[in-house]
Amino acid sequence: MNKKGVIIGVVAIAIIVGVVASFSSTPAEPLNLDMSRNHGTISTAMASPILGDPNAPVTIVEFGDYQCHQCYNWFHNTKPSITRDYIDTGKVNLVFVDMAFLGRDSSPAAQATYCAEDQGKYWEYHDMLYNTQEDKIDGGWANSERLKAFAFSMGLDMELFESCLDSGKYSKRVQYNTQQAREHDVRGTPGFFIVASDGQLQIAGAQPFSVFKQILDQLV
Amino acid sequence: MTNPFKLVFSNFKFIALSIAIFTPMLIGLLIMSEYIFLEPYVVGHLPTGTEFGFTLIVILSILSAIVIPMNVFRIKLLHNSKKKMGGGIAGSIIGAAAGACSCGPVGFAVISTFGSVGATATAFLTNYEIPIRLVAIGILILTYFTTAKSLKVECKINS
Repeated sequence: MNKKGVIIGVVAIAIIVGVVASFSSTPAEPLNLDMSRNHGTISTAMASPILGDPNAPVTIVEFGDYQCHQCYNWFHNTKPSITRDYIDTGKVNLVFVDMAFLGRDSSPAAQATYCAEDQGKYWEYHDMLYNTQEDKIDGGWANSERLKAFAFSMGLDMELFESCLDSGKYSKRVQYNTQQAREHDVRGTPGFFIVASDGQLQIAGAQPFSVFKQILDQLV
Repeated sequence: MTNPFKLVFSNFKFIALSIAIFTPMLIGLLIMSEYIFLEPYVVGHLPTGTEFGFTLIVILSILSAIVIPMNVFRIKLLHNSKKKMGGGIAGSIIGAAAGACSCGPVGFAVISTFGSVGATATAFLTNYEIPIRLVAIGILILTYFTTAKSLKVECKINS
């Protein structure tokens, strides 16, 4: 009887210790993923947070790679006008979906944005990457050390950020997003879908503001 | 003294050949490098910071449209060897390949088809787009002068 009691006691203690340990080791990282989120036929559940008014009648879904020069061109030449005239005015919102295919640093750069999202800084980190992009693909500007340096310069909690990036926590998330690009026949970056209530239109490449304006003005 | 340029392009056939090389090459490269879009509207776009790349494409197309017809002239009219033609063709192809890959549809197709080898090739052609185009222009200029020189000599002898 005594032996049985000891065994039961040990097992009970082990279970309690295990439960306590699992709770204490789980980091308090909000995931904020709405697994049912779709824009048109595209699953954006694993994509970026929505930039702009979530209730805007039109959504621009951008597929991009942080090492892509044309994405850089679009970010600097077209996006500011779209933000000013359509996103800031609540007419349109934007979702960024990773299509990390250009080089070995593409996926870690995309994962780093989600590590920044854990600390509420997705768009700041996204902008940081496109503002600091350098000419060479896999030239070192987006390697692990630089990604951490960007986070440090933004004042993020480095312990959280580093453990997130080093563990590859969001590797599958980036793969899922890249798969969405393939399923929707996106053949290069940047690629866009303008999604409204009555359908969606695909736009390929870093097209100028005039093209987006012509389409968006018909929808909003 | 014979002017090789005038000699070749005084013939309408070679002007037509030159236009037939220049137009599709320029438009093709501008589409691949995303200076021209065909869908959903036909539109031209020269983003800030890409002016130098655009200029190199125009120079490359002009040089190809001059050098290749001059070499065709040599081969057809003077019945010469095709050896020197190689420089013009090589310069045009090298110049066209540079930057055409990048993150656009060509690059994506290359990476999807050839995997990591394609990715390495794409990265190389993208990273060294400007130097490669400059080398291609250098090859075309060199080919122009060697062709012009040989045309001068050969035409003198033949006349």
